[in-house]
Amino acid sequence: MTISLMKRVKVAIVALALVAAASACAVGEGSGNGDEGGDYPSQAMDWTIAFGPGGGNDRLSRQIVEILQQEDLYPEDIMLENREGGSGATGWGYLYSQKGSGYGIATTSGSFITTPLQADTGWTGADFTPVGSLVTEDSFFMVRGDSAFKTWADWVAYAKEKGTVTVGGTGLIQINFILQKLIASEAGYKIKYVPFNEDGQVQSALLSKSIDAMFAGPGEVLGQIEAGKMRALMFTGPEPLAQAPDIPTAESLGMAPLPSQPYGLVLPPDAPDSAKDWWIATMKKVVETPAWKKFIEQQGFSENVMWDAEFTTYLEQTTETFKRILTEEGAL
Amino acid sequence: METINYLVDGLAAILTVKNLLLLSAGVLLGQIIGVMPGLGPTAGIAILLPLTFNADPTGAIIMLAAIYYGSMYGGTITAVLINTPGESATVATTFDGYPMAKKGRAGQALVIAAGASFMAGIVGAVLICVAAPLATRVTTSFGPPEIFLLVLAGLLTLVVIIDGSILLGLLSALLGFAIATVGLDVGTGAQRFTFGSPDLIGGIDFVPVAIGMFGVAEVLQALLRGEHRGPGSPVDSSGRLRDIWPNRQEVRESTGPAARGSVLGFFVGATPGAGATIASLMSYNLEKSISKEPERFGQGAPAGVAGPEAANNAAATGALVPMLSLGIPGSSSTAILLGAFLMWGLQPGPLLMEQNPEFAWGLIASMFLGNVMLLLINVFTIPVFASIAKVPLRYLATPIIVLATYGTYAINKSVLDVAVMLAAAVLGLFMRRFGMSCAALIIALVLGPLAEMSLRQTLIISDGSLGIFLERQASVVLLACLGAIFALPFAISRIRRRLSASSAKPSETDEPKLPTPLG
Repeated sequence: MTISLMKRVKVAIVALALVAAASACAVGEGSGNGDEGGDYPSQAMDWTIAFGPGGGNDRLSRQIVEILQQEDLYPEDIMLENREGGSGATGWGYLYSQKGSGYGIATTSGSFITTPLQADTGWTGADFTPVGSLVTEDSFFMVRGDSAFKTWADWVAYAKEKGTVTVGGTGLIQINFILQKLIASEAGYKIKYVPFNEDGQVQSALLSKSIDAMFAGPGEVLGQIEAGKMRALMFTGPEPLAQAPDIPTAESLGMAPLPSQPYGLVLPPDAPDSAKDWWIATMKKVVETPAWKKFIEQQGFSENVMWDAEFTTYLEQTTETFKRILTEEGAL
Repeated sequence: METINYLVDGLAAILTVKNLLLLSAGVLLGQIIGVMPGLGPTAGIAILLPLTFNADPTGAIIMLAAIYYGSMYGGTITAVLINTPGESATVATTFDGYPMAKKGRAGQALVIAAGASFMAGIVGAVLICVAAPLATRVTTSFGPPEIFLLVLAGLLTLVVIIDGSILLGLLSALLGFAIATVGLDVGTGAQRFTFGSPDLIGGIDFVPVAIGMFGVAEVLQALLRGEHRGPGSPVDSSGRLRDIWPNRQEVRESTGPAARGSVLGFFVGATPGAGATIASLMSYNLEKSISKEPERFGQGAPAGVAGPEAANNAAATGALVPMLSLGIPGSSSTAILLGAFLMWGLQPGPLLMEQNPEFAWGLIASMFLGNVMLLLINVFTIPVFASIAKVPLRYLATPIIVLATYGTYAINKSVLDVAVMLAAAVLGLFMRRFGMSCAALIIALVLGPLAEMSLRQTLIISDGSLGIFLERQASVVLLACLGAIFALPFAISRIRRRLSASSAKPSETDEPKLPTPLG
């Protein structure tokens, strides 16, 4: 949309707004998409970030809102609010309580799947109205830069010889743990898993030789890899990451596809179809913007777009996988 | 010397009108946020961080650093005036800061805290230039076993802080440990004492408990004693500027603790985990152990304010070392900052300083300048804040309770937090009446989860063997330090006894004997 067109649309909006309140629907049409009837959106959006500032959900939410504002896609105010607590239970619980509304929204991450597994949240991911999956954050399998392991094969040989190796990650009922379990059982070695509270502590534990390996997101460790303090032996994504093309993917090493941390967008349960359709149509535009592409690259995310029911199915499948692994391991 | 050049460059880079405005705005905003009970540096950065996402990284980091210092200091103000620490790192400040305020020396306590923070800021900036490699080594040699030993050193403060009945003190600490067990069991993922409530899986946060148990319970206790019926504070209520300055003796008593706290805080801050909290508690512990008059601690000893305040401030600088030199966040505030780096398009990691020297040294320089700014601003604001301490209780009680409630709610927008705060207030009131130690409970609550977590991690790594503490070089060094800390008070009192027995002179060592303490 060119600027002059946008301006004309804005002028039209102002004129219409003066004529009648019903013109609110024209606001949505004029600046958003053209094919949706009804008067959505006509109110401020209550945007929940289920984690604290600086985290993945936070960065993602703020980037989307910034694009929505820059491109004039959402005509009303958007109020961003960090509601952290209980591994996302607080924030997503708040969204859940807005049942039936089309004016609450939140991004989702891996905890959207794991938190309901470990706590009696009263909801699961499938209860919410899906907008779509946007990106995944895949992980690197990391060892110390001064360790003897140059390749994944080196590591497996060491681990098999030793029998049990010590690895660490944040939390227990978390994707980090599931990944470690999956690759260990596939490669044929055992792990002692040390759970930590924060990413920084895991990294420090690795550098202090307290653990032998960890999984970490690209945002945290690309700098470490570049500096040689840590070495990446494997990447869980389906394709090598653009910033680290030399790190082999799990699949290229002959392993089964590994789950990744899915980031998506959901509305409250039973949100009106008009709201869902509006957001799907709008987000389809957002993911095409240069600002979005640049953001994904900067954060080390991988594009993983799927909309509507497809996203719900994906959530359900991933939940089942996680549940099976965690139950097998006795963590649930 | 190269680093000094970088620092000078950094200072030059940030000395623009715009940056200085950002700096002073940040310090002021931070201070206002910090003064809200419950809102400390982490919350301050979290609330104001989004404002900076569209600014240039250097300007943004300057402002955030300023907010950080401002809110840290704001927390000190509430710790001193209304006995309410804004975050765990200022708990130790309440031990003597509040008693000082009660004695009518609130202004002096605040100036001592500001001065100690300033000194720590400068020492921190110098240490980051000359001792960053050493601090980096601390970070990279600290795994779970070392962190456990460090937490243990923090817990030793319990020994110092519990006065009166040892049994009641231990009971208080156990209560704190018990509260700390609520939430997710990190080792197995099981829920403990959450009664199925998702709100409790994150555990019971320290902040609402501290606000209730220190701030609100203190007000309730005073009301119960009928202090609101009295004529108000016995101190004269003129808020004249000169009333806030500490006397020469207070300055002398504060200098040593502030210097020791600065160095201690810097290195403890460089460890991953709750650096600033442990640093401030260790400093308090240290100062009371080596003090010639340990009995004055808890009664309003300036050293008990200066040491911890310097330590928590220096720890904040120390926490920057792993973040800048390794890309590893050492505290919750720096974790937020690291997220901000990503938002600004910077790649955190060991090469950050090399690739963005202007940014990194701008940050260090702004912490330095932020402290100067804070000191300047406080010269004007302390008299105002200090005069709050002189407002009679009958006017102050309601606003304190309202602010405490609002602040508690504002952290997570959680009504449960408010309930926890009020319950803690009632509990705190009873504990006071029965001679139990609220401070011991809070220390146990803050350090309990850390101790549990790091010990369990250690035992997973070592397959349940405690021998791991003797196998790792850093652990052995720490164990030795721990032994020294434990033995220090006994050794010192011994030496002192011998000295006073052998020497006939009244003056003991380096300092001349001072006149009797005032106030």
